[in-house]
Amino acid sequence: MRSFARFFSSVKLAIVLFILVTLASILGTLIPQGRSPAEYVARYGGLSGVFTALQLTRLYSSVWYLALVFLFALNTAVCTVTRFGTKWRKSFGPAVATDAQALQGHKVKGRFRLPPPLEAAEDRVRGALRSRGYRVEKAGSGGTLTLLGRKRRLGRFGSDVVHLGLLVILAGGLTSTLAGKRSNIALREGESADVPGAAFAVRLDRFETEYYPRGGVKDWKSTVTVVEDGAPVLTRVVEVNHPLTYRGFAFYQSSYGRDWQRSTLVLEVRKRADAAFSRTVTLEVGDKVAFDDAEVTHVSVRQFVPDFMLGEGNRVQNRSQEPNNPAALVEAWKGESRVHMGWVFAKYPDFGQGHAEGRSPLVFVLKTYAAGNYSVLEAAKDPGAGFVWAGSVLITLGFFLAFYWPPREVRVVLEEAQGRIDVAAAGEAAKGREAFRKEFDRIFDDLRRPS
Amino acid sequence: MNESSLFSAAFALYAGALVVYFAALFARREGWGRGGLILAVIGLSFHTAALILRTAASGHAPFTNMYESLSFLSWALVLVLIIFGRGARVPALAPYLMLIVVALVALASSPLMPKDVTPLVPALQSYWLWLHVSVTLVGEAFFAVAFVAGLLYLTAGTEEKKEKLDALAYRAVAVGFPLFTLGGLVFGMVWAYRAWGRYWAWDPKEVWSLITWFVFALYLHTRIVMGWKGKRSAIVAIAGFLAALFTYFGVNYLLSGLHSYV
Repeated sequence: MRSFARFFSSVKLAIVLFILVTLASILGTLIPQGRSPAEYVARYGGLSGVFTALQLTRLYSSVWYLALVFLFALNTAVCTVTRFGTKWRKSFGPAVATDAQALQGHKVKGRFRLPPPLEAAEDRVRGALRSRGYRVEKAGSGGTLTLLGRKRRLGRFGSDVVHLGLLVILAGGLTSTLAGKRSNIALREGESADVPGAAFAVRLDRFETEYYPRGGVKDWKSTVTVVEDGAPVLTRVVEVNHPLTYRGFAFYQSSYGRDWQRSTLVLEVRKRADAAFSRTVTLEVGDKVAFDDAEVTHVSVRQFVPDFMLGEGNRVQNRSQEPNNPAALVEAWKGESRVHMGWVFAKYPDFGQGHAEGRSPLVFVLKTYAAGNYSVLEAAKDPGAGFVWAGSVLITLGFFLAFYWPPREVRVVLEEAQGRIDVAAAGEAAKGREAFRKEFDRIFDDLRRPS
Repeated sequence: MNESSLFSAAFALYAGALVVYFAALFARREGWGRGGLILAVIGLSFHTAALILRTAASGHAPFTNMYESLSFLSWALVLVLIIFGRGARVPALAPYLMLIVVALVALASSPLMPKDVTPLVPALQSYWLWLHVSVTLVGEAFFAVAFVAGLLYLTAGTEEKKEKLDALAYRAVAVGFPLFTLGGLVFGMVWAYRAWGRYWAWDPKEVWSLITWFVFALYLHTRIVMGWKGKRSAIVAIAGFLAALFTYFGVNYLLSGLHSYV
């Protein structure tokens, strides 16, 4: 147990771990993380197997990287704890009696005399130290007294506070990984979905993309309503940088798109035999709507693609999600029998007509098409985040203490001898020794002057 | 004067300051250094006006692309040089820092850097843009001071000079490291949490900030606990600045990730 503590309290280990974690982290930025196996084979060939086996393709969650981080945390904790007692005693422990001789080793020191009695001299020294912000403790008895003045005592603990903050952040990371919940909720306008792991649902009322006048996306806005027990609780606009938070869950604007499979189409129906005939039908993909006519009783749209192309074997494919060549596969029915089936193209109204199956009496024209918007919200419950913020505050505070709150310590030995008081003083400062020397001199110059 | 002519004027004044500073250094006329300082201060005021004009014209913080952030970083560096460098009493500091400034401004002025004012993409529309970027870049300006002090240390002749440079590098890290931690890592995490829903995603930019942080943590630990001083400390400080430079610059051009703005 003792050798364990000694091993983990070593700063040399810390340095080795700093270097190892740094090198490993660099490696993880050189090898792209979390890609598909095929991508690694294409990139690294035979080496990809080695990379996968060593978990270099998901390095930051690999066993060995986490082991390094764990050792690092343990090292930090043990270093901090083992050094804490000494520091605590030095800052907050009682004064220890010393003598004038022992103070001679300091760089900042002085000797002088004060008039008796001892109590009066003690009061003057105390007063001088206190007026400069020192807290004074006393040790010794009889003819010799030791006064210990200390200020900015917390300054000694700056590094400990930073270390604690770091450990709290790591605990936060662990909490996020183990207890965090994350899911993507894709919603079309008007749709709602239960939030996984929560007892409420969210509904997307509206989604819009705003553009700058000269192009470029200005904003994605999802108007979201939280629904609890079937009743709407609150409605907020979720934007990038403006998540909605509710009952420990945060909802982020994560992605968006157009749902072509739920497009609303407007078709014009004409008849070959009757040039005057023209009616429009509005329907969604998959709908079969009634059409009040002697030759046609129903019209339906079987399929819609925004960017039509013919692939291998004349199979219909969709090239992209952009409406470059919107096309609908339209059917017309007379009772149970299909009287028409064929593709109509929004941009090439004449093209599809000749290809329709059956002896169709009809001609369809795709007038308009409008895809439903959908928005993807990321629902996240991250109980580790609070730890990370707390740790960040500690680290910031710790840096302030470590760099800008250097502790100062003054020891004064008062000795009664031959009707006068011999005073020996010495001091030390963790940083800013020049400034400290000035303060020290000023304190004792004031004392030397006869009151 | 418009933004670009103000920026060019600042560039010219910095170049003038650079020449005067080096003349003072090589001619061993410390008095001339004052001329360099005056040019630097005038250059900084033109530069400040350029940044203000750009902010007014774009309506957002002047560091949303490489040109803008280079301009801001060099501005911060001149500010640090004027305020912090004067107390350092190291005559070689100002000329070499100014050399970095002129290099950064020249890079920002090069045709490689698009200078158009572009509207903000949704992810950047946040007041955290101001906090995260400005504090980080000011921290990095202090790392540059430590870097120059480290390099000068390695070439310094006398013990007295070396001691001053060692202390200067430490003081620069003592300011730069907390600023970098707060601006780069803490504010970065807070903003990432608001914008992307996670405070840490192991994005290359994030990892490289952490690496930079580790190098400076190494600097402090070897120094305070193991008593490293002088040459070895100087080398760690130099490595720290190079890591910061890679985080700032290299990650964008050599690695791909979420943090694709600057």
